[in-house]
Amino acid sequence: MDNLIVVLQKILTTGIFATLKVTVVALFFGVLIGLIACLGRMSKHFIPKAVATAYIEIIRGTPTLVQALFFYFGVNALLVSATGGDLRMTPLFAGMFVCSINSGAYVAEIFRAGIQSVDPGQMEAARSLGMPNKMAMKEIILPQAVRTILPSLGNEFIVLVKETSILSVIGVSEITRIGQIQASINYKTFSAYLGVAIVYFALTFTLSRLVNLLERRMAVSD
Amino acid sequence: MINVSNLHKSFGKLEVLKGIDEVIEKNEVVCVIGPSGSGKSTFLRCLNLLEEPTSGDILIDGVKINDPSQDINEIRKKMGMVFQSFNLFPHKTTLENITLAPIKVNRISQAEAEKIGRDLLERVGLSDKADVYPRALSGGQKQRVAIARALAMQPEIMLFDEPTSALDPEMVGEVLEVMRELAHQGMTMVIVTHEMGFAREVADRVLFMDGGYIVEQGTPAEIFDNPQNERTQSFLSKVL
Repeated sequence: MDNLIVVLQKILTTGIFATLKVTVVALFFGVLIGLIACLGRMSKHFIPKAVATAYIEIIRGTPTLVQALFFYFGVNALLVSATGGDLRMTPLFAGMFVCSINSGAYVAEIFRAGIQSVDPGQMEAARSLGMPNKMAMKEIILPQAVRTILPSLGNEFIVLVKETSILSVIGVSEITRIGQIQASINYKTFSAYLGVAIVYFALTFTLSRLVNLLERRMAVSD
Repeated sequence: MINVSNLHKSFGKLEVLKGIDEVIEKNEVVCVIGPSGSGKSTFLRCLNLLEEPTSGDILIDGVKINDPSQDINEIRKKMGMVFQSFNLFPHKTTLENITLAPIKVNRISQAEAEKIGRDLLERVGLSDKADVYPRALSGGQKQRVAIARALAMQPEIMLFDEPTSALDPEMVGEVLEVMRELAHQGMTMVIVTHEMGFAREVADRVLFMDGGYIVEQGTPAEIFDNPQNERTQSFLSKVL
């Protein structure tokens, strides 16, 4: 019990900030990358469509753990040998990078599903009134797609928080890594990892309440 | 006004329109009838290029519209369309549904658009519904708003794709009444419909389509009272 409190204190004063930093950065860039990838995927032109589809499939088809190892160790080694050591990713940077591109692929699919959930008749009606495609998207399709997108995006946020634990393998001092270090100090593994679990749960539970709240607000305005 | 020649349309291997030739004059009201799957709706949707013709020409006022050099949005501004499933914008009020395109596409002022919008709502008998959202309207009311929305762009041609097929029977009349009035005002209209009584009363000309062709056409009296083609006779005997 005493050790649990020590672990929680340690996490809440150190690891949680790295976890939140990575999450917020990855959420921001994930949405940005996701938007671009979604547009590419839905494009009529071959090249953007192929690039976006390849990106989404590769990211979704490989484990986040492997992506983290590949970028931090693999790409870093290449970077170091190419620049003679001048350029080297820090674990935190690599972690943010991996989580951003990882999240982007999932967000792209969330956006696509949201846009495609809007009745095709809406686009037809807008176009039949003489609206160009972009205007119809902005005025008619996107405002309706947001209703589907926001709750899924909230869930993606929660998943992202948990995924950051993988960054412990590349040495980012986030929640899980701090727990591991605490466990190795005195071998009180039960309380160390219990503490880790409690902090993650507190974070995700808070987030899922917020997502629910958002969903209910959307339902009311519907 | 509309001049269609040798229009073909295929969806993959399925050929839906197999060569349509048709001339529709200004101020003419043309009703298109025929069995399901005969290509009526596809024909109508080709006229404003919601479906891209596979081959053939569509000329509006002498301009070939299914030509890549044509600005499709300019063409569509001249043609209003009313859908079977209304397709009102659910996140906009009734008035906003009507004023959106005039404001955004024609760039008229909001005040002017709202004046046009309210006039149109009055014309379709829905002045009191300006500020409600579509979900609060009945099917018949939705369709009347959809007609007002199309009219707000001051089109020269109105296309109706089975406008009463999704309505409860008691609401069909109110929508047909609006369309009837429009016809009397001289609007050029192409109407795909299953309302034979309405077609007989309002149409200047009736086209009977079957299997991707216009099989027979003529005045309502010719088509309904004295159909010449066997398929027309067979279809009408089932629906009249």
